Amino acid sequence: MKKTRTLGALGAVMSLSLALAACSGGGGGSGEDETTGASGGTGDNSLTVWAWDPAFNIYALEEAEKVYQADHPDFTLEIVETPWEDVQTKLTTLAQSGETDQLPDIFLMQNNAFQKNVINYPDIFADFADSDVDFSEFPESVVSYSTYDDVNYGVPFDNGTAIGAYRTDLLEQAGYTVDDFTDITWDQFLTLGKDVLAKTGKPMLTGQAGSADTIMMMLQSAGASLFDDEGNPTITDNDALLAAIDMYGQLVDAGVFVEVNSWDEYINTIVNSNTAGIVNGIWISGSIQSAADQSGKWAVTNVPKLDGVDGATNYTANGGSSWAITPNGNEALATDFLNATFAGSTEFYDTILPASGALANWLPAGESDVYSEPQEFFGGQPIYADVLTFAAEVPSNNTGAYYYEGRDAVSVAITNILNGADPASALEEAQSTVEFAMG
Amino acid sequence: MSAPTAPTEDRASSAPPPGTKESPGSSKRVPLSAIARRRSLTGWSFIIPAAALIVLVNFWPMIQALFLSLQTGRGTRLTWAEPLWLNYQRLFEDETFRLTLSTTFIYLIIQVPIMLTIAMVLANLLNAPWLRWKGFWRTAIFLPCAVGLVSYALVFRQIFATDGLANDLLIKFGLLDANVNWLGQTGTARMVIILGLLWRWTGYNMIFFLAALQNIDRSTLEAARVDGANGFKTFWYVTMPQLKPIILLCAILSTNGTLQMFDESFNLTNGGPGNTTMTVSHYLYNVSFRNSPNFGYAAAISYAILIIVAILAAIQMKVGDKRD
Repeated sequence: MKKTRTLGALGAVMSLSLALAACSGGGGGSGEDETTGASGGTGDNSLTVWAWDPAFNIYALEEAEKVYQADHPDFTLEIVETPWEDVQTKLTTLAQSGETDQLPDIFLMQNNAFQKNVINYPDIFADFADSDVDFSEFPESVVSYSTYDDVNYGVPFDNGTAIGAYRTDLLEQAGYTVDDFTDITWDQFLTLGKDVLAKTGKPMLTGQAGSADTIMMMLQSAGASLFDDEGNPTITDNDALLAAIDMYGQLVDAGVFVEVNSWDEYINTIVNSNTAGIVNGIWISGSIQSAADQSGKWAVTNVPKLDGVDGATNYTANGGSSWAITPNGNEALATDFLNATFAGSTEFYDTILPASGALANWLPAGESDVYSEPQEFFGGQPIYADVLTFAAEVPSNNTGAYYYEGRDAVSVAITNILNGADPASALEEAQSTVEFAMG
Repeated sequence: MSAPTAPTEDRASSAPPPGTKESPGSSKRVPLSAIARRRSLTGWSFIIPAAALIVLVNFWPMIQALFLSLQTGRGTRLTWAEPLWLNYQRLFEDETFRLTLSTTFIYLIIQVPIMLTIAMVLANLLNAPWLRWKGFWRTAIFLPCAVGLVSYALVFRQIFATDGLANDLLIKFGLLDANVNWLGQTGTARMVIILGLLWRWTGYNMIFFLAALQNIDRSTLEAARVDGANGFKTFWYVTMPQLKPIILLCAILSTNGTLQMFDESFNLTNGGPGNTTMTVSHYLYNVSFRNSPNFGYAAAISYAILIIVAILAAIQMKVGDKRD
């Protein structure tokens, strides 16, 4: 009696641990069906891809798959929807543990994080050195994000070219047109903004408090960055940065720029007509157009430039992303797929632009008629053609491996400066924070 | 009853000398009979799988993390640090670590006592014989614990937005004149996080207290009343001492939880303004995944948290547990 009970208990325990073992080993057996990102295929006609936005980059992938299938009927794409933060976490975890066979064949990466990952985890990238992709057909500033030691690691996808988008109806109330905001400096913008605020009660711009987005855009517009070519932080003694922070402070103090605390609040200021304009990457046009009642009331132009800074321009960028491929045995197919679609098909870009607003970085796409079609929402302005002309003018800037450290330290400095800290000492503190993080 | 208790008895007796398995009983015990030995085997067979899993998925990674914390470098290019304790030395020079640690302690010192006091009051109210609809109240107060950490943090962020519900209500009732930027100032942003923590965790601790209260022998309370003690005296001198172990447990659990807090910092304020609401765990995440990955240092930070939790738990046990 006792013996059978003991045996029974042992049996139960054994089967339990077997079940657990089966769970942990399950990935190998049924990996093909799971969408964990295991590439599975070696040399077959299927590619696994990680991307994050069903309405945007995933939609673009689906269309690219159709375009490629015209010549390669057996080709299939397995798209795994993975939010950007998760892509970064997964890549870091896989690279750190050496489980590179779990990588997809292609993944999408934020341009700002590209250098950091290529430098720290060269094992998860395959390069485009021997490929047919013609990188001269992309704006230089965009290609430089995914180039390290003169080797290309990414095919640029979405365009982060910055636009100044303004509410023409509100400007009209104040007696202005969008032309008054074209090719201007930030000083002029501040003067105009104060007037618009006085007459309409609306700020010209909004943004997230504690986010350095606006400052970083101002910096890049002058071809400046937080790091020099050797990757050393240049937060102190950085004229462009000082000018940008000074201007930002003036804008906020005057109420021309209103800070909100979260991304949702930021989008709400646009949708609820609580701002007369926005300066951000062209991808913000998707959010602008979500307010259907504002159709016809928006216009797009270039952004203001910094006064008294060498190399200042009216063009800059924020965000954007590029496709990377992994050394998983499918590099040839992955490269060919990207080259035939994202880096070589006007037909493809003509489909995705009107449907999702996915503006190409691939310059030949701009010659297509679709790009010059007037956009009703923007009062009949062919904004995509305009933005492509901006894109070619954007100065490159150096992100380096410590972009996020630099950016976060500057964000903290801005918060402290707006609360009354001395700019020079706050930036010195930021510099030492970054130097510490790099040490 | 004999079968279920046998394994625990065996564990109790054989756990202290793990190496001397042949004589698990100490000298006070009679040598094991065949039956006892078989029972002992049953006990071990129950314990070993779970214990092995804990060692494998908990203790082994902890040991690996210890080795990792002695290495330095970015990404996968790790080398042994020179000197070995370099990452720990680094902690003392790290302004951000110091800031996040003091923020975490502010949360701990303000939130845990308030929470445990409220939980204790609520538990006593719910335990009162005169209270009606007990099930309803109990569920209502415990319900926040069923809400996901991320979702409640996001809801709190909406409520305390500058044009959010909190401002609307306070202005409507005349308590405020203008919108307050709750999440934009260090003091109020920390307060919102503490409010969130109180809302989320008070019910959880209350359930522990309630369970302990219901285990108190009613005759001890009656005896106190017969002796002429009033309500407060009964609570203070009769109920509280009997609740001490559970208060200690809740205090240690809450301390541990607060020191490892991540979701609220990450989702509610994203560490802002200027990193002043960021917790140590949030900083650890940034060091590993947001910044240029420095896993050696991140492991050292996690060990710092472990050491602090261990010290605080030891102090609490020393102060709170006087059963002997």
